Amino acid sequence: METLTYFLPQVWFVILALFLFLYVMLDGFDLGVGILSLTSGDEERRGILMTSLSNIWDANETWLVLMGGGLFGAFPLAYGTILSALYIPILTMVFGFIFRAVAFEFREQANRKFFWNVAFGAGSFLAALGQGFALGAVLKGINVDKSGHFIGTTWDWLSWQSVLVALTLIQAYVLIGSTYLVWKTEGELQLTHYKTAKTAAWTTLLGAIFITISTPIFYESARDRLFQRPLVFIFSVIPILGILLISRLVTSLDRRQERAPFVWTILLFVLTFLGLGLIVFPYIIPTEITIYEASADPSSLVIMIIFIGFLIPVMLFYNLYQYIVFRGKVTGRSYGEE
Amino acid sequence: MDLLSNTVALSRLQFAVTAIFHMLFPILTTGLGIYLVLVEGLWLKTRNPDYYRHARFWSKFYVLNFGIGVATGIPMEFQFGTNWAPFSEAVGNFFGSVIGFEASWAFMLEAAFLGIMLFGWERVNPAIHYLSTILVAVGANLSTLWILTANSWMQTPAGGELVNGKFIVHDYFQAMFNPFMAVSVSHMFLATLETSLYVVGGISAWYILKGRHPDFFSKAFKIALATAIAVAPLQIYVGHLSAEQVYKLQPAKLAAMEAQWETSPAGKPANWSLVALPDETTEKNAWEISVPNGLGYILEFKQNLTNPVLGLKEWAPEDRPHLVGLIYYSFRIMIAIGFFLAGLMAITTLLWIAGKLSPSNIAQQKWLMVGWVLAAPLGYIAVESGWIVRCVGRQPWTLYGQIRTVDSVSHIPATNVLTSLIGFVTVYSLLFVAVLYFGSRIIRKGPNLEMPIPGMEIAKPAVDTTPGEFIPNERPAEAQQ
Repeated sequence: METLTYFLPQVWFVILALFLFLYVMLDGFDLGVGILSLTSGDEERRGILMTSLSNIWDANETWLVLMGGGLFGAFPLAYGTILSALYIPILTMVFGFIFRAVAFEFREQANRKFFWNVAFGAGSFLAALGQGFALGAVLKGINVDKSGHFIGTTWDWLSWQSVLVALTLIQAYVLIGSTYLVWKTEGELQLTHYKTAKTAAWTTLLGAIFITISTPIFYESARDRLFQRPLVFIFSVIPILGILLISRLVTSLDRRQERAPFVWTILLFVLTFLGLGLIVFPYIIPTEITIYEASADPSSLVIMIIFIGFLIPVMLFYNLYQYIVFRGKVTGRSYGEE
Repeated sequence: MDLLSNTVALSRLQFAVTAIFHMLFPILTTGLGIYLVLVEGLWLKTRNPDYYRHARFWSKFYVLNFGIGVATGIPMEFQFGTNWAPFSEAVGNFFGSVIGFEASWAFMLEAAFLGIMLFGWERVNPAIHYLSTILVAVGANLSTLWILTANSWMQTPAGGELVNGKFIVHDYFQAMFNPFMAVSVSHMFLATLETSLYVVGGISAWYILKGRHPDFFSKAFKIALATAIAVAPLQIYVGHLSAEQVYKLQPAKLAAMEAQWETSPAGKPANWSLVALPDETTEKNAWEISVPNGLGYILEFKQNLTNPVLGLKEWAPEDRPHLVGLIYYSFRIMIAIGFFLAGLMAITTLLWIAGKLSPSNIAQQKWLMVGWVLAAPLGYIAVESGWIVRCVGRQPWTLYGQIRTVDSVSHIPATNVLTSLIGFVTVYSLLFVAVLYFGSRIIRKGPNLEMPIPGMEIAKPAVDTTPGEFIPNERPAEAQQ
């Protein structure tokens, strides 16, 4: 029983990290394409951008809904504390989601598409911005009392560090969105996104360097753990691998490869995620409350493994299946009729 | 008790606004999902292109509703954390898990197969496509199962107890199959289906009235009607079961539903209030018209009550629901609509049996068709009214009898909630106008009857379609105008 109370929260930490990673990767390119659509001048191109997402945007977003539900069930204290502490970033993201989700269908129907184009692009941007601030604030730490309840103020989430994280996350989304479009489109459109991918690769790298340097300097809790063995070895490997991956990515973009840039970007995301996961673990509300303090009853965690955990392979399978069904380049403005 | 600086009241109002607006959209997707399974099944069985075109036409309404359903559903999930953090912490063990089950069982299934259902006609074979349509409907209806399980548990918490302010679950299956669960899930399942059937029937009736493709739409109309024959009466029965459960398990809610201030003792008849003006300050109805001895018949099909019907005054004001008038009238509106829809179904069925609904004379049933057009929005009103009775009547509790609403709210400044509430009202008003506009555009544009049939366009020469069949059907309809 004693080991279970440690083991089960760890299992759920890993499952939630997996959900969040799938979300950041999949909705990352989704939101990235949305942000990129703001720079696109003509209707034809914007139509292709949105068509490349029309059959998958919802499943991509559902990983976040799943992650939210899992967090609610597995770490109820963290769910309440983090979301209420980050009221403004979360609501910003939610409104962003609303605008971009309705834009898909309304734009298709509308004669004058301008308004829904803006809703799609700006909604994607708002959602990414809210997520960036939320991530930045969680990494910086949430001001809680001994029992894990939020005791900070409304604007606690806003700091130069969270601004930095938000900007970097937006860059990363633009990067993965660009490489997705390189993979799914052709001609002029593909060429444009080779360029945006390259720019975004550099700006993301810049942000990542700042974050990597500033994290151990400014966060005591992270510093203590980062420079302890054996973690110090892992953390020294991560930046090296990161730079290696970035150089591979840039090379593949220069060689005009079609799928490799997307794959390299995903690997970069995996690496970053691993790094962040190791910094945060075992905290669920940094820098005070651990997963063991915030977790639900062990019996709940077991039931959730049965009802959610066992479904993960099934969900992955049918998500993959629909990517296979809709494989190939997007050329038309619509998959369906008209 | 100034509303604008009251976090509790504003959070409740925000949840109510977002829930009421959100609810409008899953109603159609869950119910229409089943309808699409029916028409696609008919297409595969009969190979009549009309059924294929019905599947394509009605799925346009599905996708229109789906996007907004998702967009407005996300705030529902996140609000538990942002605005109801103490509640989330207290009930996470069970309630939080169930919200997670909803995402893994329902949302993901619906999301993943919707793409294939909408855009995959040419990309997968008919069997896989049909399976996708079925899985979309299953996914949508599993949402009903999980969310109603969660809500029923808030109404009749079971399977555990509060220990130090946290609900510890002893028996998960007892918690899932809590007393309200089976009837509530059935009631909501039938509600979404019934509403969708009357939407399909109403839109079809509009086309028949206008003389646009009356033959085509009389098919959709009859599928909706045939399904409604089973659904509408069953819903009245399940609704009755639901009210009986409230009578037994949530007597304070029943008292509010009936605006009963004084207790009606057991073993005696009691009047059933038909129309009243409840007044909470004087704790009585300012005026009232009642049906003598009606209450016993309504609750138990007999004159004398077996158990007393408790009056609101049995509870201290802080322990009973308020907004009695709202609960009382919402309940009556829901019942009136339920009976109206069943009655409309009955009349239409009689005319159908009498042969008055054949393609040649269905357009002559003008008033009947007008009735169906008017019935189209009624299901929505009934569903919303039912939820108002259910959740306003549950007050002052979030977890019935155990956790109070005032203790469930996040400790955040009222201005935050006011700002987001204004945001929701503004954005949702815009969306409401937009969805009505685009929905009516889809209706005005009508179905595409020229659409090629997957897998058939090569096999048949284009000239082969039988134009002779269409002309006689179009003529009488045009002649009538």
